[in-house]
Amino acid sequence: MNSIGKSPQRIDLLEKVTGAATYVDDIDFGARLLHAEVVESPHAHALIKSIDTSAAEKVPGVVRVITGKDFPYRFGLYMQDRFIFPTDRVRFVGEQVAAVVARDAKTAKRAAKLVKVVYKELEPVLDLTKALSDELVLVHPDLGNYTRCPWFFPQAGTNIAHWRKTRKGDVEKAFKEADLVFEDTYTVPRYSHCAIEPHVIVGLYDLTGRLTLWSASQSPYTQRNVMAQALAPLGLSHKDIRVVTPYVGGGFGGKAGVSMEIICAALAIMVKGQPVKVRWSRAQEFYNTYQRQGVIARIKLGVKKDGTITGIEHTLHWDAGGYVEYGANVVNAVGLSATGPYRIPNVKIDSVCVYTNLPPSGPYRGFGYSEFHFGLESHMTRVAQKLGIDAVEFRKKNAIREGDTLAYGAKMNPCGMQEAIDRAAKEIGWGKKEVSKDPNKAIGKGFACFWKAPAMPPNAASCAFTKFNEDGSLNITISGMEIGQGLFTVMAQVASEILTVPVEKIRVELPDTDRNPYEWQTVGSHVTWGCGNAVKAAAEEMRGKIFEIVERAHGIRRDSLYLENETVKCRDRADFELPLRDFVINGIQTKHGNFLGGPILGSGMFMPEFTSALSDPETSQGGHPNVHYTVGAAAATVEVDKQTGKMRVLKATLAVDAGKAINPELINSQIVGGVLQGLATVLYEDIRFDHKGKLLNANFTDYKIPTSLDMPVETVPIIIETPQPDGPFGARGVAEHTMIPAAPIIANAIDDALGLRMKTLPITGEKVALALNGIDYENVKGSTMGFCYVGHADAYKFKTSAKR
Amino acid sequence: MKSKSTTSRGIRAAITLKLNGETRRVDVEPNDILLDVLRESLGLKSPKIGCEQGDCGACTVLLDGKSVRACLILAIEVDGHEIATLEGLTADGLTDLQKALLEHNSFQCGFCAPGVVLSATELLNNHPTPTEEEAKEAVSGNLCRCTGYKPIIEAILAAGRKR
Amino acid sequence: MAIAHQFEYVKPGTLREGIRTLARYGSRAQVLAGGTDLISLISDDKLLPEIVVDIKGIPGLDKIELKREPARATVGVLTIGALVTFSDLRESPVIAKKFPVIREMTGWLASVGIRNRATMVGNLCSAVPCCDSGPILQVYDASMLVAGSNGKRKVPLNEWFVGPRKTVLKRGEIATGVAVPLPKKKHAACFVKLRRYEGEDLAQASVTVLVFAGNSYRVSFGAVAPRPVRGEKIEALLEGRELTDDLIRQAVKLLPEEIAPITDIRATKEYRLHMTGVMLERGLRAAVARLNGNGPEYGTSLI
Repeated sequence: MNSIGKSPQRIDLLEKVTGAATYVDDIDFGARLLHAEVVESPHAHALIKSIDTSAAEKVPGVVRVITGKDFPYRFGLYMQDRFIFPTDRVRFVGEQVAAVVARDAKTAKRAAKLVKVVYKELEPVLDLTKALSDELVLVHPDLGNYTRCPWFFPQAGTNIAHWRKTRKGDVEKAFKEADLVFEDTYTVPRYSHCAIEPHVIVGLYDLTGRLTLWSASQSPYTQRNVMAQALAPLGLSHKDIRVVTPYVGGGFGGKAGVSMEIICAALAIMVKGQPVKVRWSRAQEFYNTYQRQGVIARIKLGVKKDGTITGIEHTLHWDAGGYVEYGANVVNAVGLSATGPYRIPNVKIDSVCVYTNLPPSGPYRGFGYSEFHFGLESHMTRVAQKLGIDAVEFRKKNAIREGDTLAYGAKMNPCGMQEAIDRAAKEIGWGKKEVSKDPNKAIGKGFACFWKAPAMPPNAASCAFTKFNEDGSLNITISGMEIGQGLFTVMAQVASEILTVPVEKIRVELPDTDRNPYEWQTVGSHVTWGCGNAVKAAAEEMRGKIFEIVERAHGIRRDSLYLENETVKCRDRADFELPLRDFVINGIQTKHGNFLGGPILGSGMFMPEFTSALSDPETSQGGHPNVHYTVGAAAATVEVDKQTGKMRVLKATLAVDAGKAINPELINSQIVGGVLQGLATVLYEDIRFDHKGKLLNANFTDYKIPTSLDMPVETVPIIIETPQPDGPFGARGVAEHTMIPAAPIIANAIDDALGLRMKTLPITGEKVALALNGIDYENVKGSTMGFCYVGHADAYKFKTSAKR
Repeated sequence: MKSKSTTSRGIRAAITLKLNGETRRVDVEPNDILLDVLRESLGLKSPKIGCEQGDCGACTVLLDGKSVRACLILAIEVDGHEIATLEGLTADGLTDLQKALLEHNSFQCGFCAPGVVLSATELLNNHPTPTEEEAKEAVSGNLCRCTGYKPIIEAILAAGRKR
Repeated sequence: MAIAHQFEYVKPGTLREGIRTLARYGSRAQVLAGGTDLISLISDDKLLPEIVVDIKGIPGLDKIELKREPARATVGVLTIGALVTFSDLRESPVIAKKFPVIREMTGWLASVGIRNRATMVGNLCSAVPCCDSGPILQVYDASMLVAGSNGKRKVPLNEWFVGPRKTVLKRGEIATGVAVPLPKKKHAACFVKLRRYEGEDLAQASVTVLVFAGNSYRVSFGAVAPRPVRGEKIEALLEGRELTDDLIRQAVKLLPEEIAPITDIRATKEYRLHMTGVMLERGLRAAVARLNGNGPEYGTSLI
């Protein structure tokens, strides 16, 4: 192949290396640009009694002050449970209750302090146990009235926003038949995306009534859709809204959907004719965008003494925050896949999405899979230990294969899990004990398997337009976003392969919903597959048109034609060569002087028509909610100082099945970057709320994301290729996956090194050192919490008061 | 160039600085932050707003040849000084460092890139053939969430070896 | 975010001018040198000064000078001016040669872009409990050099810190530098800083050890009390004695009497206490080894 499998220089890299790349905050709107500052709730749960904006309005330079009264509409992606500005009550510390729009940022900031809000505090829901108990305080008394997608199951009258139940076979029987049944509880706190670019958006509601938004977003079309639905009461529909998305400075899921962006839409409408910018501070990035949910999970695994898994019972209670319009889907996705990549005949999964008075949760790289793999892959290694079977062999024995029945009844796609396991184990030197020269240090190795499927609605489609230029170069317009993963380069390679135009002559244009065709969202690691299929279809359509016009003009049978080096050639006639540039705009001139053909255009659309989210709400059987899984395996060698608890990752390796590596270097980049981001959640990132729900470390000083000095000594990426039949050239997506196994490989390595099993995250040097000295960190950490649960994991009773 | 000695609150004073080799004059209030003035009044977009607390390095510029966080400097402080941003660096064509960053596919989302390039440029100006540890330390104040730093360090070392 | 608070800005051209302004405004003024602490505080509305006094125009404050007494070559005083940045210290040949532990400390302080602006004197004036400069200078019995309307004075570092973000600086006074006496005897030192990872981080705890030939020790601790503290009981225990495993154990046992760590979101008091013990042990051994010529290179992390 000419382009597929190669690693050309990224087509967006020159812009980024020279500083020419434009992000939303870099666009100049001139002197008429207005600035906004939001007024935030200091309470986790309170009724709004009154908002007095009079003093703020009087400040010179203030244009408008907006509250929920101006916009009493709900919005949301999967469930409309959220307000642009709440009118009745606030549900997390930092929630916006009003906004000041002013001529300059300083004035907006000054005036925002003058807005007086009177609250009546309510008891906040800051403990999962209480949230699910019978004496609960309701976060959403109106839950039963919310519009939602049909495959979510909120329980009105409770704090359960969604409950995904998956039942296959008979777990009780499976446990009876097992030789060993082992169960335990694991907890994972909340995490923050920390993209270096904060959320920022500029909105202009022009004098014709058209709303244009320049948004730092992964999802221009979904933003348009969510806004159109939310603003429908004002008479706006999709034709009236345009979303433009320049380069994004990191997304990781945090810039998917709609979180703070709708505020800008509302403000723009109120100051008609003037553009207004809303840029989040770093602190707001932490507490008022999306957070990764916290979860407490109980895993019960039944195994035969030969290592065969007979059944799994996996119960997960998720701290999903004050609004779950997006976060509920994380809970849903896990509820379908929390078996992990294993062949398990008897399955009981309960994934419960609980409203709490902490910040709203949403998509974060891994989409629930990072969260559940910590417990599951820790548990797998522990069960192997109890059986006396090697942890890698145990996984190999039970690893899922193509054609196996998944937890919800559909069949597993082709996957190279065995190869991934073998190669990761070989790379880490599995089975070879390493000893440190330093007597203070111990070295351990940890292993984990992983999988993930894109969690999308069944009609998440991708489209592409392609057009030639006079010089034979190509423009591709898609609405898949370049968020750094290299999508544009990969799409160029797909088109390049079909049309033989070199990647350097292909441009991929940033999304603009007025010009670029539909893409559901750039999430779920699915755009190489979905958007790639669309681009391939568009390129193939162009190729078909090229051959058709050459046949018409030259009388050569089209099935004897092929493309090579931007030229049409004929298998039967070695002398026939027609460069694309000669006719892809101008057409082909006949001997009579007229021209046949004309500009060659292509359009492609990909819709996963085989998916369906309809299934039995009690068992999740039926339907095909996940398009396919990407699988892999990872391992780490960790050196621990027994006195200080400090850990150094000597080596991390991750093998992932990409189906077909369209651009191997980009996949390697995802592995190196994702592994570090994953390691950070285990080793460094430590979110802390106080007992009133306030986020205490909403800054990089105390929420530590890794620097160049924190890299593992060695990271080894491994690419497996078991083709995905319906993927472009056999490719499937690789992006989130590289973060997913990080937590369990570290936990398992520490257990291997020190005989210390840590069941809560993060696993900091402090926790390890204290544990080695007989001190349980949970007993001494004080009154802060990483998610909505205070107390020992083992004390948590997985009870819900709901009747279902 | 005469330094500004007294400026009252809310009143603008004219400061003069050499920006990417060019003498520029701009009016600033005492509480104007250098990063905002560079971006809003002087038209340079490469220094980015990442955290506004000096923790992420996205706002890095070179002040009299030294890397600094523009979000922690008042614009008025640079009266009479020299500032270099990525735009200025590239004006005469790509530097060896930039070429190495291209060859190593060193960036993904690119938001940290201007800060990284300037920090690494300062390093290579002072230590033309840095060690791996020196390269890592030089950019340790530039947070990157995408790349895991590996290709950035490789590019810096490659640029060093070229000399 | 933009600074909403409005203030006046002055850049005095002489020390006297600066002192006059500070005397006039008292607590309504803030001194600006590197700004890495101050600007963020004003931006977050934690400080609302009426006037910001930029001292970068005052001549003579940017020097690192080692002055020896004319007739006695072994007696000297290192003066670090108020405008000396951590990068200046890091690159200074006299610091590298005569006070290598100061250079060692700068390697773990923030990052290059901060070090190019942040000043040591500013760090000492900020008086945050986790400040790195304080404990280092305490073991050297350094003194702050202060100038005010009433003239000049020297404040021993042990008396400089009152509590978190509070020093003994009076209205109208400005710290012009810090004077560090060059130890007369052969000596070696070690600075150990507990951070949450290898990247830029504030100290969760720090230990500084200075050992003189003849087994005389100075130890000081950072981030484990409201201000940097000298471990006087430990120093008394170790005085004149050869370092042994047992002696180190006894020294570590005295720690709860010397320091008062707290639990906050950065660390628990249990971990701080435990780690201070580990760092004290490793610091003592490293300092003694350095004194004997076979210790780890300055800048090597011991934890």
